[in-house]
Amino acid sequence: MRAINITSRAVAGGALAVIAAMSPEPSGAFTVSITARNPRTLYLQVGVGSFNGIYTSNGTPANNATVNVVSVTVPAAQVGSGAVQTMTTNSTASISFYDNFVFCNAPAQLYVGGFYRSTSNTGPATLTATSPPNLVNANGDRIPFSQISWTSSGNGDSGAQPFPAGTFNGATQTIGTIARNQWAESCHTFRYANSNFVANGTYTGRVVYTLSAP
Amino acid sequence: MRTFAAAALAVLAATALVPASPCAAATHRVDDSGTLPIESTALLRWRQTAPSSTRDDTLEGATAVAVRLNLAPWTDRDASLYLVFPQQDSAATRVRWTTQGRLLPGEISPGERVLVYRGPITSPVLEETLTLHIEADGNRLARVQQLDFHFEIDTD
Repeated sequence: MRAINITSRAVAGGALAVIAAMSPEPSGAFTVSITARNPRTLYLQVGVGSFNGIYTSNGTPANNATVNVVSVTVPAAQVGSGAVQTMTTNSTASISFYDNFVFCNAPAQLYVGGFYRSTSNTGPATLTATSPPNLVNANGDRIPFSQISWTSSGNGDSGAQPFPAGTFNGATQTIGTIARNQWAESCHTFRYANSNFVANGTYTGRVVYTLSAP
Repeated sequence: MRTFAAAALAVLAATALVPASPCAAATHRVDDSGTLPIESTALLRWRQTAPSSTRDDTLEGATAVAVRLNLAPWTDRDASLYLVFPQQDSAATRVRWTTQGRLLPGEISPGERVLVYRGPITSPVLEETLTLHIEADGNRLARVQQLDFHFEIDTD
């Protein structure tokens, strides 16, 4: 019996080899590669901006080249008195393009907002503001830009603002951040410290806001 | 006597192995080595341009695949064909596809197998174009990823 069993195992082994050769199991598979067309998308609006529709109704961002003005006229009797002068804007942007909510109170406030889309978890987008050292009038007289500061709020908001209160430093400074795949917005109310006695005139200076992503 | 017994055992052993053949009722992987994506890489766009409170960070896009299946082992048999999207480490969450009519349209998620044809196999080669509509998690697609699919056949 043992001899027969040995023989049968040998035969069965041969049969296995034949069948395996007759029925190869294909290892087919196809591969589709995917990637993001626009892995990073940024939108920044300071003051007046443009949106095609409202975001929550499938609106999309648009360009707007408007440069808004924030200003104040200091009464002659108060120049340099230290009495803080609340500034106002020529912005008409009160609503948020996110949801059409009246988030800011123009012209007293300046809308500052935007969004950051990214597929990479490499950190938030950063909003910076670059201001010159001074506001200058036609005669070359100067007022340090650090005389201008802002408070931050938003209608209906109760928590911390993404772009909190601050003071211009006459250089490039961080205003706030926008986390990945977030929309962030604040309303800034500017004020002039009025602590320097300066010659009369119109003093101007431009602040450039930049939103950059890693 | 010993010789006869050995021959009988050999026949039994072979018979027991026959179900492994592609001609028996079973599931087999289909040779789809002739299947090729028409584009090298499918470019996906954000479904919502801007982030939202609903946190829809979906990327979506479409690409076509020229499918060529070798069905020769199952010709003249009734069978069911399935598209298989194995579980894999990718951002893709769902894939819908449309066809030109030879295969069924449908949708599939990772880890699933979906019927694309049931009936007689009348030709040794089946050619079809699938247009894949791919959805992916935008938080997980930092670079190019590859999605692996294959076809399986169940013979009736």
